[in-house]
Amino acid sequence: MLKAHNLVKIYAASGVPVHAVRGLDLEIEAGEFVAIMGPSGSGKSTLIHMLGGLDPRTSGEIWLDGKRVDTLSESGWALLRRKKVGFVFQGFNLVANMTVADNVELPALLAGTSPREARERREQLLDKLSLSDRAEASPGQLSGGEQQRVALARALANRPALLLADEPTGNLDSRNTRDVLRLLGEVHRGGQTIVMVTHDARVAALADRVVSLLDGEIVDDGRIPRRKIAGAGEVIDLR
Amino acid sequence: MRLHLLALLAKEPAHGYELKQALEQTFGAAYPSPNIGQIYVTLARLEKDGLVRAVDVEQSNRPNKKVYYLTATGREALTTWVEEPTEGPRVRDEFYMKLVLAPLTGIADRMALISRQRRHYLGLMRELNEVMERSESTVARLLVEGAMLHLQADLDWLERCQEELC
Amino acid sequence: MSTARAATRWISADLRARKGQAALTVLAVAGILAALLTGATLLEEGTNPWRSLFGQTNGAHIWIHTTERPDVWRLRELDGVATSAGPYRSAPVTLVQDGKRPQAALRGLPAQLPEVARPQVQEGRWLSSEQPDGAVVERSFARASGLRLGAPLTLNTVGGSRQVLYVRGIADSAEQGFYPEWTPGLIWVLPSTLDRIEPKHELSEWVTGLRLADADATQVVSQRVLVELRQVERVYTWREVRAAMELDNRLLGTLLALFGVVGLVAAALALANAAGGRVLGQLRDLATLKSLGFTRGQVALLLVAEHGALGLLGIGIGLAAGWVLPVVLLGAGAAAPLPVLAIGAGAALVVLAAVGLPAWRGGRTPPIPAAPAAPPRGHLSRLARLALLVRLPPALVLGTRDAFTRRVPAFLTAFGLAVPMMMITIGLGVWATLDGFLKNPEQVGQSAALIVKTGKLTQGQAEELIAREPGVERSYPGSTVNALAPGEARSVQVRAIGGSREPYPYPVAEGRGYSQPGEGVAGQGLLDLLGVKIGDRVRLTVGGSPLIVRIVGRVVEPDLDGQVLSVGLDTLEAKDSVPPGYHALVLKPGADPGEVRLRLLSASQEGLDVQRVVNPAERLGVLRPVIAALIAVLALIGLANLLTAIGLGLRDHASDLAVLKAMGLTPRQVTATLVTATGLLVVAGVLTGTAVGAATVTGLIDLQGHTSGVGAGIGRPPAAATLVVTVLAAVSAALAVALIPARRAARAHVTTARLTHGVPSGRS
Repeated sequence: MLKAHNLVKIYAASGVPVHAVRGLDLEIEAGEFVAIMGPSGSGKSTLIHMLGGLDPRTSGEIWLDGKRVDTLSESGWALLRRKKVGFVFQGFNLVANMTVADNVELPALLAGTSPREARERREQLLDKLSLSDRAEASPGQLSGGEQQRVALARALANRPALLLADEPTGNLDSRNTRDVLRLLGEVHRGGQTIVMVTHDARVAALADRVVSLLDGEIVDDGRIPRRKIAGAGEVIDLR
Repeated sequence: MRLHLLALLAKEPAHGYELKQALEQTFGAAYPSPNIGQIYVTLARLEKDGLVRAVDVEQSNRPNKKVYYLTATGREALTTWVEEPTEGPRVRDEFYMKLVLAPLTGIADRMALISRQRRHYLGLMRELNEVMERSESTVARLLVEGAMLHLQADLDWLERCQEELC
Repeated sequence: MSTARAATRWISADLRARKGQAALTVLAVAGILAALLTGATLLEEGTNPWRSLFGQTNGAHIWIHTTERPDVWRLRELDGVATSAGPYRSAPVTLVQDGKRPQAALRGLPAQLPEVARPQVQEGRWLSSEQPDGAVVERSFARASGLRLGAPLTLNTVGGSRQVLYVRGIADSAEQGFYPEWTPGLIWVLPSTLDRIEPKHELSEWVTGLRLADADATQVVSQRVLVELRQVERVYTWREVRAAMELDNRLLGTLLALFGVVGLVAAALALANAAGGRVLGQLRDLATLKSLGFTRGQVALLLVAEHGALGLLGIGIGLAAGWVLPVVLLGAGAAAPLPVLAIGAGAALVVLAAVGLPAWRGGRTPPIPAAPAAPPRGHLSRLARLALLVRLPPALVLGTRDAFTRRVPAFLTAFGLAVPMMMITIGLGVWATLDGFLKNPEQVGQSAALIVKTGKLTQGQAEELIAREPGVERSYPGSTVNALAPGEARSVQVRAIGGSREPYPYPVAEGRGYSQPGEGVAGQGLLDLLGVKIGDRVRLTVGGSPLIVRIVGRVVEPDLDGQVLSVGLDTLEAKDSVPPGYHALVLKPGADPGEVRLRLLSASQEGLDVQRVVNPAERLGVLRPVIAALIAVLALIGLANLLTAIGLGLRDHASDLAVLKAMGLTPRQVTATLVTATGLLVVAGVLTGTAVGAATVTGLIDLQGHTSGVGAGIGRPPAAATLVVTVLAAVSAALAVALIPARRAARAHVTTARLTHGVPSGRS
């Protein structure tokens, strides 16, 4: 589904080159849920931006669905994102002038969905994220957690084959996190591929696989062990 | 479990089976389901220490049952327990020892240790997620959430170790 | 297609979020265009009134005067003739009026106004059978003869009988040119009245008007008319009428063209600024759109569509208003459709060009929304340190620091004010130039206020009368002849006036005035036409004999596109210069031309022909409201630009304000900080704009003058006092405007400021 080969990103801010990502190899199967973890400055956001074509790579290759995409023009990437990729930004990046409903419907409309379908899908998503009553609010009136959920809904509005998310739960309290976890689980079960940068272990724990970055390199890439448990007693030791 | 039972008895006198039910009702899935025998053993010890008093109640068609009352000493012990500050959990010193000592032996490097530990924690977290899904009562969910937050702290600490030691 | 739907959502949401600003943009564009069109229409009305008169009166294209009543049906059957007016009987009369005896034609028209060539009644009412002694007088004739409503009209017929009628109405007509350029004057009466006054038909003529299907067919049709009818006395067409009504309007056209440029630049600026400021403020949102799958081109297109639509809407409203306004306010005819469409199309192009650049910039935003503008560098600017040094209050110091740390809003503020201010200064310069024309006509080549022709008197008598008139400073005998230029198929005018030793006081812009026979001065138009420069000799032919003149200077020449050569009378051969064709009278300061004219007329017992020189600026008066309106619109544009820039600045500023408030600045101090920051930029922008405007206005008007043949040397910068007042007014208005958002920002709660801007995204 998604493959990166020897991916490098060098920022040349104020003359001093900064190696944000140094020669990274990553292969993600269709339908897989991958969590990317690592301390700040380890290149997580840069990686996910490059995978979504939002930031051009310095060198290396990116393949999506068997096609090489790192050579695409900016417009080529835009068309690709429109069809296949949903993106959740760390800073939410809701369009300030549009209502929550319009924000969520926008990508679907852009992909050519009829306005009615787009509205139905939006209602569904907002309902799952307990945001139905905020549909007509403007992003400025929402709390950080609400904005974050709207951003997630917008990224999913198009049922993208690939969901890229950068810290999608940073501002959520535990109750809202539960809504988000449930929705992500559903998306995952539906066969959509998810690549997510996160610090939040609750979200990361949903993933099939966790990739740890340090200084722009992968230091660990493996599956999360899974066992069948019967009750809380097996997990929590109450003294 | 001694003090948990005392606390339940402070509310109203009860017999052993009622106590088991009360525990299950209050904590739900969060509490490892108590064994009735274990409860009777604990009650017997409490009676011996003078913290509870047992009264036989006759029943028709069935053997007598014992109803337990909280004594003044028992109430005092309960008060002391409630009032004294509770120690929190500390760093798992076992992993810490491994982390510090293993590289010296050449058996494993720290990065591998940390990565394995992280995946283990994430596995645990996944289980907590599942428990959380199944928990209905607020108190139960709070317990799970507490565990999750501890686990999150452990993971953050692993990250710190990685940054500093690797 | 799908993109269009998404884009429509975005555009409508964006417009909803900034209704006020969008409305202001539309109004600014509409205002400028309406002012321009109104100006053009008024100018057209003032200098070429024929078109609207012809339209209003449904005029006839050809007029035929015959001695006998023509068969109108035969005329109407001619190819190209649509309808006809008349024939009307017309009799020559003389108006008896305190000494003067102007010639007039008494024309018999029915009480029912005709369909074609229908006189347009401006005052009073049309003829009616209930008032057989009523007459309607053509307006220019009425004005020249001082006839008012109700005044008695004493008429002498050719036969010598005297009749009295009363003025019942004053009307406009496109049948003939204005009196006194076109004689005789025109008076309408009922046919029965005419029969009573002049019963002899052999003393009258018949006048018939033909309205053609195609105005350009006059040549062919008039020839057919001459073939068809006998005893034709005179045939003339609308072209001759128009030429008689036209005022040489090169100078006015020059000034209007300058307005046009000023207005369009201002409109473009308003749009570019509004669009540019908006785009800068929206880079984050645009980046988000790209991350959702908008391509670079689509984002640019979307922005062009949004801002261009505002501009085009403004153009539409402006065109409509510019069309309707002159009609409603001034009763003038509507503007000609072609120039309106041309102006509209030009404005649309300007709009799209102005919007294009910010749109292109917006399209180039990278799809990762940039982190909010980097915090301004912490060090104090030099100016701020200076402010600290002189112990200014903290709010002022902070404001001074703020003013220059954020470059883009700072530039937008200063530039957005400087350009309208420059335009306003130029507008004031045009105003001052107009004033200069009126107050000092000698500076534009109109030293003489009166032109006297000898008329019935002899040269000696005329000169004696002029010499006796106390109001006359000096009299210059002059003659105007046509000369053929070598290699030019057309003739140029040679104006011989005054002696070479005592030259006419021309305003010499370059070189010197002529001082001996054989020297001359020329207007810019002539220099350009003949391709000569000062110091060159030109060889012309006057009446078959050669005239060789050395051009020693260039004068400001408002007549005939500047294609006039002026020499001393003694430069011409005696056959051309004796006797002189006229005398140009330069009056003493303070003497009233009208009074001097009346005195000369009565002293000569109407023997002299005395004409006033028409100052082009007199008819230019209509342009003043247009300049005022333009200045008002420019001021609005400046304020709109300012609001845009302030809005942008505040957006970046929100978090700083929170910090300032947390540090303990009172809302009043925060307001003072913001106003100081804006104020410094306002002062910088206003001063720059005024300085640049004042420096360029003379040059601009002169450049326009040059290209129109008038020649450089007419431009006047606005007076220093005017500029000072303008600058003060501009700065205080700008500060008042800046106060509104500053106070709102100062009162806003810290938390709301943070929330709306989200958490800054960092790279992890």
